[in-house]
Amino acid sequence: MEEKKLSERESLELISQMIHSTRKNLEVGSGNQFLYWGYFTTALSVLLFLLVYYTGDARWNFGWFTMFLFWGFMLWEQRRQVAEVITYTDRAIMQVWKVIGSLFVLTVLIMCLLTFCYGRVDFSLMFPLSLLYCGIGVSITGVVIRSRLVTWCPLVAFCFAIYMLMAYTIHQSSTVDWNLYFGLSFLVMMVLPGHYLNRKARQVC
Amino acid sequence: MLKELNPLLHSQLRLAVMSILLSVEEAEFVYLKEQTQATAGNLSVQLDKLSEAGYIEVEKSFVGKKPRTVCRMTSKGREAMAEYVEALKEYLPGF
Repeated sequence: MEEKKLSERESLELISQMIHSTRKNLEVGSGNQFLYWGYFTTALSVLLFLLVYYTGDARWNFGWFTMFLFWGFMLWEQRRQVAEVITYTDRAIMQVWKVIGSLFVLTVLIMCLLTFCYGRVDFSLMFPLSLLYCGIGVSITGVVIRSRLVTWCPLVAFCFAIYMLMAYTIHQSSTVDWNLYFGLSFLVMMVLPGHYLNRKARQVC
Repeated sequence: MLKELNPLLHSQLRLAVMSILLSVEEAEFVYLKEQTQATAGNLSVQLDKLSEAGYIEVEKSFVGKKPRTVCRMTSKGREAMAEYVEALKEYLPGF
């Protein structure tokens, strides 16, 4: 693009052309974060289910803490690959997930504190809480990017979360199957929207 | 009488940069170069002019060993763009 004077009509056309092409480019790869988290969580849930089921040792459930390692890895990756452009939508979504991430940290810290005070605590409560936290995050993301599918997909996760919370109220403890319910929820809540967003982005470009 | 168009914005490359920055929160130099298809030297000169006028903020940093230049539109730049578009509308009624 050379430095030249424009007619008034050319100016308006240039403004709309630049805004349009910027918006078009921004959608590429928008579902990748959902896919990384969705596939990792689903794979981990199946692995931990198999380990607990076949060994009968519930301590394998501590394997869920590898989610925090994965989170650290994702943050490190994001810092390494700095985005060339950040939109207002990106910023809003980042803020939403920062709050959701803080909720996870806060919940685990409080649970650890209770374990220290009372000698024992049931970490299985993390299953329904995680489904609620992530479901809310995905839904808000869907609202921000104006995607009905992304907004409503977490309903499956909410159903499982409500079932798990109700189970506590009727004094049923968590079962090994909850690992699978958790993985299935992530498959519907994150993997499905992730592929949908990437497919939509490919069609646009 | 028609308003005079802001001469700082009424040029192809500077207007293209301002239009891009209007629709994003921040954009890297590399991204602006790709979108506008300008040469690095020319883009750099035009960014300096916009920055001197207070229309954009230019932040230079390093990611590892690679230099990174990020540009953002200021509120003054946003106002200037709004006034510019309003003035354009007067020139082109019914566009």
